Amino acid sequence: MIPYALKEGCLHTLLRMSIEDLLRGTQMSIDYLKQKRILLVDDEQELLEMVVSILNQDGFLNIRTAKTVKEAVMISETFCPECAILDVMLPDGNGFELMERLKSLSDYPILFLTARGEDEDKFRGFGLGADDYMIKPFLPKELLFRVNAILRRSYKDENPLVKLRDSEIDFDRAEVIQNGRHISLTAKEYAILAALYRNAGRIVTIDALCEAAWGDNPFGYENSLMAHIRRIREKIEANPSRPVSLITIKGLGYKLMVGEK
Amino acid sequence: MKSMPKLLRRFVGILLLASVLLIILNLILLFLFTVNQTSNAHPWKTAEEVANELSWNTNGYILSEELALELKEADVWGIFIDNVSMKVVWRTDNLPPSVPVTYSAADIANLTRGYIDGYPTFTGEAQDGLVVLGYPRESFWKHMWPSWDYQFIANFPNIFLKIFIINIVFVFIIYVSANTRLLKSVKPIVDGIQSLPTKEAVYVSEKGVLSELAVSINKTSEILQSQNNQLRKRETARANWIAGVSHDIRTPLSMVMGYAGQLENEKHLPEEDRKKAEVIVRQSQRIKNLIQDLNLASKLEYNMQPINVTKQNLIAVVRQVAVDFMNMDIEERHPILWETEGTFTVCLADIDRDLIKRAVSNLIQNCINHNEQGCHIYVCVTEEDGKSTITVADDGVGTSEEQIEKLNHLPHYMVCDENTTKQRHGLGLLIVRQIMSVHNGITRIGRSPYGGFSVQLILPTKNRDNEIKNLKK
Repeated sequence: MIPYALKEGCLHTLLRMSIEDLLRGTQMSIDYLKQKRILLVDDEQELLEMVVSILNQDGFLNIRTAKTVKEAVMISETFCPECAILDVMLPDGNGFELMERLKSLSDYPILFLTARGEDEDKFRGFGLGADDYMIKPFLPKELLFRVNAILRRSYKDENPLVKLRDSEIDFDRAEVIQNGRHISLTAKEYAILAALYRNAGRIVTIDALCEAAWGDNPFGYENSLMAHIRRIREKIEANPSRPVSLITIKGLGYKLMVGEK
Repeated sequence: MKSMPKLLRRFVGILLLASVLLIILNLILLFLFTVNQTSNAHPWKTAEEVANELSWNTNGYILSEELALELKEADVWGIFIDNVSMKVVWRTDNLPPSVPVTYSAADIANLTRGYIDGYPTFTGEAQDGLVVLGYPRESFWKHMWPSWDYQFIANFPNIFLKIFIINIVFVFIIYVSANTRLLKSVKPIVDGIQSLPTKEAVYVSEKGVLSELAVSINKTSEILQSQNNQLRKRETARANWIAGVSHDIRTPLSMVMGYAGQLENEKHLPEEDRKKAEVIVRQSQRIKNLIQDLNLASKLEYNMQPINVTKQNLIAVVRQVAVDFMNMDIEERHPILWETEGTFTVCLADIDRDLIKRAVSNLIQNCINHNEQGCHIYVCVTEEDGKSTITVADDGVGTSEEQIEKLNHLPHYMVCDENTTKQRHGLGLLIVRQIMSVHNGITRIGRSPYGGFSVQLILPTKNRDNEIKNLKK
């Protein structure tokens, strides 16, 4: 897919990218999440340029930027963003109000990227329906992880098959495809796999997985979780006793490795 | 005022004790005053003795010389009235002339009850008559009508007891009512003084006998309020200033970290340049941590940090922190090893989740900061005797005993009231201590069994089994 638009200011960033990067970008464009339209709002021009370059490097090319609430609303009417990264303090208003206006036009995931680190600001943001809240300063990889995570979570219904080394997961149908066989996932297995997939490549704690499967206060479910993990491995791994996709981090949690390699 | 009943009890106790002591004192005084007095029965006994001693011989009635001398020394006169003639048939030499020598029955009755010419008289019955002794005037007082109602005498102990009790009750009522009134007037003063340390504004009505005290209390309260306001303003200004600076520095630092982070992963840059970028990223992160620590430390110090205590599984909280660090790709040089027993999965405690996460993060970050060459970081949660312990230890360079002693006992310069800016330890540990203080916990710094540095955070926990049962319900 050809990028919907690319802000002029960040074109030079793209041009700076090597041919290899562009090739990598092309490969990434196969990833449907990288094609999402992202609206980036911050009053600092230099920060906008930097975030655009970070996102570009990761393969996101459909990015538009705005420096004010007014500009952001105007752009969103024509750009139809599928994800927004907003600062809280803007010259003509604040990010919370902007989020409400954007959400009234269309419901899509919003991540706050702000220097305001007070708990009350965070609670306000989450209370209004923000999907994540990041406090400046930040590392590029942290921003990328969070953007990818909220996109995966928000657009999982559009998700094609998630490829693992020895199988594929079809979250739409709640099943695993291994060697042409379609194996159904139970509700708990689905919840556990979904939580792992949202954090693909990262360790997810035992407690977070129990919470995903059994809700709040999931005390005493560790053994049940182990049983479910064993059954998931039987479905997704070629050799469940030597797992390569669903890895145990002893005492801490599990990690889902996505991709064929 | 909680001490009012206590004061009343004390007053009543004092009253009862005083009553008992008063009775004892009176008895002692009575004894002391009467011990040297002539016994009431003495003249009667002397009269009877004279009657017995008086004997008849040919010259008439005679008294033994010894007894006669005793009467003379006591200035007592005596007569003997014959039963038949009703005349005086014996008398002492010192008989006053005004004393009659002949008596009628009425005279006998009168002298027995009272006096002869002002001389108190006492009688003793002899074989043939009556001996009468006359004591000096004003030496004895005689009750002229010595008769009592029989019932009164028969019930005297009861009557005495009733009168005594009525007296005690009466005195008690007077005492308590007087003291209660006094205590009532003291109560607002005492309440005012007790309210002063609460930092709330105090006003005591400036009326009554203790109005001067009330005025002083009101003035003291005003001064304290004014000082508190000044202090609060200063603390708020300081915390706001730190919060403002830390806010303003975040955006420029974002750009430093962002671009350095990109350069660090830029494969086309020479290795040397990427290492430089890596240093910039690492140092930027230190500045980021410092800003966060400075902000939180000042808020905790000035009680401006809202504390949200909820029941949490401590193991889950600590495990999340360990995993967050592992997800940040530090594993290469600083692998984290989870040492908590596999069977120990729930450890409930009333904590502010974010603050405890922050404390554990600071400890892990400390291990990383102080061991740039790399080290293993051991994280463990244990529970014993109603206390849970989070231990973060490493096998890195560690520190000297002297430094450990300083870390355990000297305050950070930021919260130290001495005039020093000498760096004793980083803000990270200060925050850990402040967070533990908020949770009524203890921070223990020492040597790690693995050879490096170790910090234990000890927190009070809930009864595990009961709590888990309740939560599962």
